[in-house]
Amino acid sequence: MNIQQENMIEVKSLVKKYGTFTAVNGIDFTVGKGEIFGLLGPNGAGKSTTLEMMVGLRKPDGGTAIIGGFDISRDLNKVKEVIGIQLQSTTLFELLTVEEILRLYGSFYQKNVSIPELIEEVSLTEKAKSRIKTLSGGQKQRLAIALALVHDPWIIFLDEPTTGLDPQARRTLWDIVLKLKEKGKTTVLTTHYMDEAHVLCDRIAIMDQGNLIALDTPSGLVKSLESDSAVEFRFEGDFLTDELESLDGVKQVGKNKDTYVIYTDDLQVTLISLIQLTSMKNLKLTDLQTRTSTLEDVFIHMTGRSLREE
Amino acid sequence: MKAYWQLTLAQLRIFLRNRQVLFWTLAFPIFLMVMLGSFLGDGNGVSVSIGVVDQDQTSQSKEFSNLLAKNEAVHLESSNSKEKALDQVKNGDIQLVVVIPQGYEAMMKDSANTKTFEVPVYYNETNLAVSQIGLTIVNSVIDGISKEKVNYTPSIVTNSSGIEALDLKYIDFLVPGILAMMIMTNNMNGVAGQIAAWRERGILRRMQGTTLKASTFIAAQITARLMLNGLQALIVLVVANLIFGVSVNGSWISLITFVVLGTLAFMAIGFIIAGIAKTPESAAPIAGFLSFPMLFLGGVFFPVQDMPAFIQPIVNVLPISHLSHVIRETMNVGTPFMELGSDALILACWAVGAFIVASFTFKWE
Repeated sequence: MNIQQENMIEVKSLVKKYGTFTAVNGIDFTVGKGEIFGLLGPNGAGKSTTLEMMVGLRKPDGGTAIIGGFDISRDLNKVKEVIGIQLQSTTLFELLTVEEILRLYGSFYQKNVSIPELIEEVSLTEKAKSRIKTLSGGQKQRLAIALALVHDPWIIFLDEPTTGLDPQARRTLWDIVLKLKEKGKTTVLTTHYMDEAHVLCDRIAIMDQGNLIALDTPSGLVKSLESDSAVEFRFEGDFLTDELESLDGVKQVGKNKDTYVIYTDDLQVTLISLIQLTSMKNLKLTDLQTRTSTLEDVFIHMTGRSLREE
Repeated sequence: MKAYWQLTLAQLRIFLRNRQVLFWTLAFPIFLMVMLGSFLGDGNGVSVSIGVVDQDQTSQSKEFSNLLAKNEAVHLESSNSKEKALDQVKNGDIQLVVVIPQGYEAMMKDSANTKTFEVPVYYNETNLAVSQIGLTIVNSVIDGISKEKVNYTPSIVTNSSGIEALDLKYIDFLVPGILAMMIMTNNMNGVAGQIAAWRERGILRRMQGTTLKASTFIAAQITARLMLNGLQALIVLVVANLIFGVSVNGSWISLITFVVLGTLAFMAIGFIIAGIAKTPESAAPIAGFLSFPMLFLGGVFFPVQDMPAFIQPIVNVLPISHLSHVIRETMNVGTPFMELGSDALILACWAVGAFIVASFTFKWE
């Protein structure tokens, strides 16, 4: 494959343990130059820990990673020069202005990009002279990304960049990430939003309980799910999963809170038998909808659990 | 180098934009100084209030009162009722009552009389120190009168003359103490709180992800705090000068050197606290636990010599004792730097030792 020709990142059996709990259980993957690589999984899957080991904020208990040609266990300072990071739940100096903090972080590195241009790129020009505490959530997050770009790094690490943002702010952020790709930057991001992974990522690694359970392109992952359609609905009253599984064409039955999802490779047949079953039992179906399978379904299929279990 | 200046600048901006912290870190020491200085500012001199009940009412008895009143330390209050005067002693309004009984003048004029005449003096036993001084004064006056009466010529006299080398009042003692206190709390408590909070909020962690070196970060912290401390110390000195006329008698260069040494020592201790405190909430009590006893043991408000002997060894190793001592000596007496070398050395040891410990306990996250 083309992208395998120049690897920007090689992760080699990284392990992280906290006492007896294994947070990351020996994972391997590579990221090619110019790729947007997604680490996907529910909270506690080990995404952030993996990312933090790659940027040198946590010491691995086993394995290593080669980032931009430098080994994180031996050449961490060289690694730090070629990477830019945005961490989950970082607060910044609230009393400094956007411009001041960018100059401050720029001063930590040998090489710098033009600060006004950088502010323009993340659409913060109007806020350049405002204090950070006056920024909205989305603006703060764009500033965090700008801080990661201040020294023109090759590889950018984004840890849940859109968590907690409204849809409009998320879209603005996606545009910024896609622009980075146009500039030839390599991006690694973690997320638990399926739609985000689908829109942004060239390849996705799905993590669950410290293990890497799948790695493919978004469409490749969906294809691996043999059933191409999903039927979602709710009932009033109890229902037995067994009876749903015995319907025609059903591959799998999932339940997310009070919503049932059945996966099928023959939508029509399944729907007909579902309607027959409910009218026979005199049950009222609500919120019935059908759709093509998504990454979310891939995740449920692989782990039996929803991505965002509340 | 660029990172060092930018970080120093950033820290100064944060200080100056945090108006509330800026105000209260200055308001507290100035308030303390003005309050204590106004109440206790002249507390060095002793004065005795003596009540005189003149039952004789003659020129001789008036002469006696005048002799008493001549003494600088005596505040005389004449009274015509012995009972009233004794009540005043009990209430603590006056320390001593001298009763001049009737027949005093008659006795004085009767040269043939050899019987000793008694002048009753009543004093307050609960305030013994002042009462004793009062008694001594009364005795010396009576002694003088009786010697004069018998035409006694002393063969030896004391020739005492007061030496007013430095007119030092409590406020002169207090202002250097307040400076030392400010340096201690602003740095020790300030550094501990701020660093622990920055760590909690992930600010330090984010910086750890860059090529910034910890030494650069700490050097910038020190520089910014030195500038701020210097400024705050200057403001306190100006206020002390304007309100109480306190001035710096010694060299400004020594004073600045000691402010720098003290800042370094207490910042280093602050870094240690920030290192061992698990949360910003626990940093403040730990710093308070250390700074509060130091306020009382370290010669900030009271002289170290007044402490009980068994505490002295502890007092002598505390950095605050040495800091308040050297600032006081420099400001009040103008002692040259070299004579304060041992104190400076101890402060420097604290600074170096604490920075070494801090470098082991410091954590970015």
